[in-house]
Amino acid sequence: MRKISYAISVAASSLFIAFTAQAADRTVIQNKGSDTLVNVAQAWAEAYGGVDANVAVAVSGGGSGTGIAAMINGTVDIANASRQMKNKELKLAKSKGQDPIEHVVGYDALAVFIHQDNPADTLDYDQLKSVFGRGGKATKWSDLGLKVPGCKGDEIVVVSRQNNSGTYAYFKKEVLGKKGKYRQGTLDMHGSKDVVDLVEKTPCAIGYSGLAYATDHIKMACIMKDGGDCVTPSVETASDRSYPIARPLFMYTNGEPQGAIKTYLDWVKSDEGQCILLEKGYAPVRGVSCN
Amino acid sequence: MFAESALNVRNKRVQNLYRILFLMMTVLLVIPVIIILSTLIAKGGSIISIDFLFTDPTNGMTAGGIFPALLGTVWIVAVALLASVPLGVAAAIYLNEYAGDNWFTRMIQLAIINLAGVPSIVHALFGVGAFVIFFGFGTSILAASLTLAIMTLPVVIVSTRESLRAVPQAFREACWNMGATRWQTIKRVVLPNAVSGILTGVILEVSRTTGETAPIMFTGAAFFLPFLPQSVFDQTMALSLHLFVVATQVPGVPENLPYGVALVLIAMVLLMNSISIAFRMYLRGKKKW
Repeated sequence: MRKISYAISVAASSLFIAFTAQAADRTVIQNKGSDTLVNVAQAWAEAYGGVDANVAVAVSGGGSGTGIAAMINGTVDIANASRQMKNKELKLAKSKGQDPIEHVVGYDALAVFIHQDNPADTLDYDQLKSVFGRGGKATKWSDLGLKVPGCKGDEIVVVSRQNNSGTYAYFKKEVLGKKGKYRQGTLDMHGSKDVVDLVEKTPCAIGYSGLAYATDHIKMACIMKDGGDCVTPSVETASDRSYPIARPLFMYTNGEPQGAIKTYLDWVKSDEGQCILLEKGYAPVRGVSCN
Repeated sequence: MFAESALNVRNKRVQNLYRILFLMMTVLLVIPVIIILSTLIAKGGSIISIDFLFTDPTNGMTAGGIFPALLGTVWIVAVALLASVPLGVAAAIYLNEYAGDNWFTRMIQLAIINLAGVPSIVHALFGVGAFVIFFGFGTSILAASLTLAIMTLPVVIVSTRESLRAVPQAFREACWNMGATRWQTIKRVVLPNAVSGILTGVILEVSRTTGETAPIMFTGAAFFLPFLPQSVFDQTMALSLHLFVVATQVPGVPENLPYGVALVLIAMVLLMNSISIAFRMYLRGKKKW
């Protein structure tokens, strides 16, 4: 017994010493929010280690709502969001002594994904409304005049996102209109990648997700708005704003960024940072030349 | 000669039927374990190497190793143990050795049972409210470990109590009759005889803490961190969250990576369990009754 308690106390005290040994001077930037941005935020954080070894960026996901809530509570330095903060949220933040400043760090095209065997090539806003919107007429593929091979019941499986997702909010506003609502009975997925994974395997399905999540085994519809030409989602059409369902991606800081946070954000907006964004499948804020 | 009556024959048949039925149930239990392990080894075994265990993830977490997550899990588990074992063992000693059978003790027992039934996501939210915000630890190893410690306290308390109870009352009485105080009895007689059971509870706690994701997701584990934790006030990556991330959040991950992470996670738990079994057998061999 004495031996064991001796061993335990030695182990405990050495652990204690290890725990209390403080780190060297390292600045940590807390970065949290949008699942759309989380992968590019991770890539930025990973690459920034090679730019300034004394600054570390800790990245967490959870959704735009999570990031904005953390900004309101003052627990992050940079909040990622794939939608703008609402007036209500800004007011709440101000009342808690925070002063969120918005920065556009890139653009994201939302593609409408269908199974690769689906014969649909172009979809216009009215068709999307009738599929995704509440009270929409299209519940079967034949309602759109389509015969989808492999889709036995002909029923359209509508894939959407959970309601604190910025992607959910943006698609609703852009396609269904300000007052529009999603139809009931959609499959709400908890991540951009989940939507693509599901549609890829389900012939009857249609869903929306970030262009960056596209794979080789899935089809993206060419989108028509207001009777114009149809535009295929791509980095180019998102950058020149010709693709209609494309949105800015935001980073919020508390007040004008200063010190390490400013240096980091400047680097994110620099050619080096924007090239990483481009590589991840998002559109840069301006023309950049990457090798 | 004694001839079997029709009743005897029927009883025997029914008896055999039930034996086979229960045997099949037992086999059924083992099948998922075998399937899970063999799938993990078949699909993830190819990625496991020393490099995989001891290097950082690279290329947007689609390549490289899992070292920060592995180390983070060790940190979280170690700190959780430091918090919950002394507390849990002390509580169990009080309940078993000192407390009388009154309403106060019964209320504590009820509280412990209820604590064990609280879903882990509720513990997670409690952890955010209490440790991250109220105590101001921020999202850190300390906050995550304390959340886990509270979640696993019932395991430690209950298993410690069970092993204390298993020490024969006669041992204590003999000790008291020699003029020893209660504390001397506990320290010299009860605890040494109960240590194997207590350790089993601790190891059970370790394997549970290793795998939990929800309680650490909001309180201390990060999606990605470009540095290794240096103190309990740092955030960390963790194996269980890392598995969730590479399986569902990151596009373009090679198929064997999530399976490899899962294999490492499960291997850690199995290793802990086998150590506990071996240790318990060793200690039991030394028991004097």
